[in-house]
Amino acid sequence: MNESRKVLELTTRIGEVLLKNGGEIFRVQETMQRIAKAYGVEGFHVYVLANGIFASIEEDGRQICQQLQVGNGEKDSDDLVVASQIRYIPLSSIHLGRVAAVNNLSREIVAKKYTMEEARKKIEEIDKIPFTNNLLQIFVSGLGSGAFCYLLGGSLIDSLASFLSGILLWCFVLYLSKKGANKIMLNILSSALVTLTGILMFRYVFGENMDKIIIGSIIPLLPGVPLTNSIRDFLNGDYLSGTIRMIDAVLVACCIALGVGVVLRVFQIVTGMPV
Amino acid sequence: MLTMIIQIAVAFVATVSFAVLFQVPKEQYVYSGICGAAGWWCYLLVMANYPSPTVSSFAAVVVLTIMARVFAVYRKTPVTVFLICGLFPLVPGAGIYYTAYNFIMGYNDLAVAKGIETIKIAVAIALAIVFAFSMPKLLFTFASKRDRR
Repeated sequence: MNESRKVLELTTRIGEVLLKNGGEIFRVQETMQRIAKAYGVEGFHVYVLANGIFASIEEDGRQICQQLQVGNGEKDSDDLVVASQIRYIPLSSIHLGRVAAVNNLSREIVAKKYTMEEARKKIEEIDKIPFTNNLLQIFVSGLGSGAFCYLLGGSLIDSLASFLSGILLWCFVLYLSKKGANKIMLNILSSALVTLTGILMFRYVFGENMDKIIIGSIIPLLPGVPLTNSIRDFLNGDYLSGTIRMIDAVLVACCIALGVGVVLRVFQIVTGMPV
Repeated sequence: MLTMIIQIAVAFVATVSFAVLFQVPKEQYVYSGICGAAGWWCYLLVMANYPSPTVSSFAAVVVLTIMARVFAVYRKTPVTVFLICGLFPLVPGAGIYYTAYNFIMGYNDLAVAKGIETIKIAVAIALAIVFAFSMPKLLFTFASKRDRR
């Protein structure tokens, strides 16, 4: 009994790390089931949503149930926490490295390389894999923006402008996420910021195509991860989670459009210049 | 020809940038870059012969997803790692911009046209991913190094 309880706790922890960092629903479910099986637990049931994990183990007709709300930190297995809250997982917290690491861990657990204690330590280590440092993030955001501006038909000068506003964008995003800004505001404000810098740079400094500069620099905000994950969830029959993530993707896209549009319009009204 | 090579190289750089931004493990950077570059190359090729962003996106994402699956088996890494980064050049960011621009400037017919085009591209991408994932897993096991699962 005690043993199964530990397995349940371990698998749920692993599932939590996987889900939090951008794993797909079926991957979370499958990983948890495999691990439970590897540790010899038979009656293991799990149901995963985009923002919650429900897992239970049956033994001797008794059932321990652990309902865990991802990100809430409530993990007392005797408390039943009802996961009925929607929590957006901010873009910056996606960590594909941790997903890959959990994937390796589960492979090794299935190959019976780890005892439960070791696996427990391992998963805590994975959960602490750091993000790449901020300077590098800021730099690659600029690099990505510049590159996209070029791909979408901007000139070299445009790419340079896009590079600079991409750098500014990520500084702003990091600052806002540190302040704990809500996701909707974060997207509206940051896309508004890059639009403003795009216009100003085009008008007063350098740049040949304003639209290309702005498009390039909003790219780091685009909801590529939720879009991809939602499609994969739909494909695997997890319609509910797919819908949640699809709404997430559409919402982010709308926020970006709103930020861009409002700034363009306000600039036009205030200065009377055509944009 | 030269522009194409430059474009592909830039697509590689762009994809790797996003791989870094999404915390992909270091040893997979090159592979996700290759995925992105291949997708973009395919997009350009189709665009040159049949200039429709929807069709081109579809073809590019099919190629990209297949490559991502091959790499996933070969590198024993979740397929998402390659797919998400490679998909970024193809997500219709320009469509979102032009829709917002025309909408807010009051060019309603243009806004609707651009909006529909953006949605079409997004649907094409989704269909392409579904299509490429529906191929049986067996096709990809050739990439596995011995212990296959």
